[in-house]
Amino acid sequence: MYALSKRLTDAYSRRFARAVRETYREDEAYASTPLGRLALWAFLLLLLLLPFLLGPYPMYVATLVAIGALSALGLHLLVGGAGQISLGHAAFMGVGAYAASHLFGPLAPLGILLGGLIAALLGLVLALPSLRIKGVYLAIATLAFQFLADYVFKNWEAVTGGIRGRTLPPPQVLGLSLDTPERLWYLVLLFALPLFFYGKRLLMTRAGRAFNAVRDNDLSARVAGVDLTRVKLFAFALSAFYAGVAGGLLAQLYKAVTPEYFPLSVSIQYLAMVIVGGAGTVLGAVLGAFFVLLIPEVLNSFVGALGPEYAATLAAWRNVAFGFLILLFLILEPLGLVGLWGRIRNYFRTWPLPY
Amino acid sequence: MGMILEAKNLHLSFKGVKALAGVEFAVNEGEFFAVIGPNGAGKTTLLNVLSGVYEPEKGEVAFLGQSLKGKSPQERARMGLGRTFQGLEIFRGMSVLDNVKLGAELASPTYPLGLPRAEREWRLRAWAEEVLDYLHLAPFRHAPAGMLPYGLQKRVEVARALAGRPKLLLLDEPMAGLALEEKQDLARFLLDAREEWGVTLLWVEHDLRAVLELSDRVLVLSYGEVLYYGPPEGVRQDPKVVEAYLGHA
Repeated sequence: MYALSKRLTDAYSRRFARAVRETYREDEAYASTPLGRLALWAFLLLLLLLPFLLGPYPMYVATLVAIGALSALGLHLLVGGAGQISLGHAAFMGVGAYAASHLFGPLAPLGILLGGLIAALLGLVLALPSLRIKGVYLAIATLAFQFLADYVFKNWEAVTGGIRGRTLPPPQVLGLSLDTPERLWYLVLLFALPLFFYGKRLLMTRAGRAFNAVRDNDLSARVAGVDLTRVKLFAFALSAFYAGVAGGLLAQLYKAVTPEYFPLSVSIQYLAMVIVGGAGTVLGAVLGAFFVLLIPEVLNSFVGALGPEYAATLAAWRNVAFGFLILLFLILEPLGLVGLWGRIRNYFRTWPLPY
Repeated sequence: MGMILEAKNLHLSFKGVKALAGVEFAVNEGEFFAVIGPNGAGKTTLLNVLSGVYEPEKGEVAFLGQSLKGKSPQERARMGLGRTFQGLEIFRGMSVLDNVKLGAELASPTYPLGLPRAEREWRLRAWAEEVLDYLHLAPFRHAPAGMLPYGLQKRVEVARALAGRPKLLLLDEPMAGLALEEKQDLARFLLDAREEWGVTLLWVEHDLRAVLELSDRVLVLSYGEVLYYGPPEGVRQDPKVVEAYLGHA
């Protein structure tokens, strides 16, 4: 009896409870331990089943967060990965959204993809100043792009519908109308999952290292054989592609596109996601989007619960509370939610014998 | 032994200050070649010219019998010309392992969509681990390079450069700021690298004892001109070097 139970526990610990990576190969994988792999598959399964678990409103919020996370990942690759700042992220989302508003219904997936590609081309253009200027100066250049895009959205009526914007019917896949967030969710997953794995893999391999090298030390990167021009062009185009696809998906969720969806404040909101999430990691993009998009909703419902007579005053305080939370992050945890998560995980990895 | 690097009549000036004025020398394959001289002699400028950060106004550098004229730093790196910097120019936010992997990837091709096959990444890892092991950096592989103590950061830089399998490695004051013991370790690593991987070494260094003990030949610069060029034994005897650099005892 003892022998059997020992065998079982041994098998268990060999299989699942192993928190230490044993080979270089394991160390190079997405999910480094059997337990990690199990968690990954469980998470994917949860994503697939989510519409059956949540009601319409939570599902709407979940879709919003997933699209936000996808777009935030694009900015993470650029800002956290390659160290280039951009205040024009919302503009790229707008480009994707307007492109998608022209190819709708059964063509929606194509429209979303095309929106991403057009945004990527514009991203290449925006990368040009980054070849010459850095930091604050680059921020100003991208800011100019944001305002320019805003102007075009409002005034190129033939394509954008001006300030009234455009509406679009729900996308159709195989004759099925994706008219609810529950159904649209799967279209979002179709785009988001491959792009997430791609982003993760990219950061783990050569391109990611080249990105980081440019971020950390561009002189040394050049002498180590990194082509700065190529890395910057690629990073901007890639980031814009993610934003464009996310924008296209957002247009499907809102069933409309107006210039108000993509102002400068949204660009800044995405930068906040990058900072709060912990720059440069895929997990950071998800956590950042969760925090930035979800907390206002939570604070909203909190304000709602107190009663309508307080609503106006508390709505203002909601913004103050949100700003305060972001400040707290900057001061207490510069690595963002990822840093926090890493510390919790390391604590349990060695628990209960930390020494 | 053939020549691996040949510098002919190099001239470079900054706003009238002559940093290099007709510098000429050649480095033989497998050699440990030293460049010394007082501050402002043009040593770092010389390395910058060799590695392509600056283009000389006159003169030419040939590497492996090929002219380097107009070649960018990354092209030169891919030809097998490695470089470390004075002060620390490592990638501080990246792990030690990623620093070394990046150095090792110099010559590898780019991939469709930027993604290599997993197999290639594993092979890269194996080589990176070999280099880490070699420089006794393996325990720190996942630490962010910028968090390590100074001596180890210096070693990370050498590891990154060696990982690119350079044929010629240019080292700019690799021993500056190291304790005696760390200097001895580094000297051992460099000599072993030459032995094992056939790396030719060219170093700029201020520690005269180390230079004279380790180097096969020495080039002494002062105000951009060559004062001495020959075996280390002759350095202390040369009246011009004593005058400009060593001082009278």
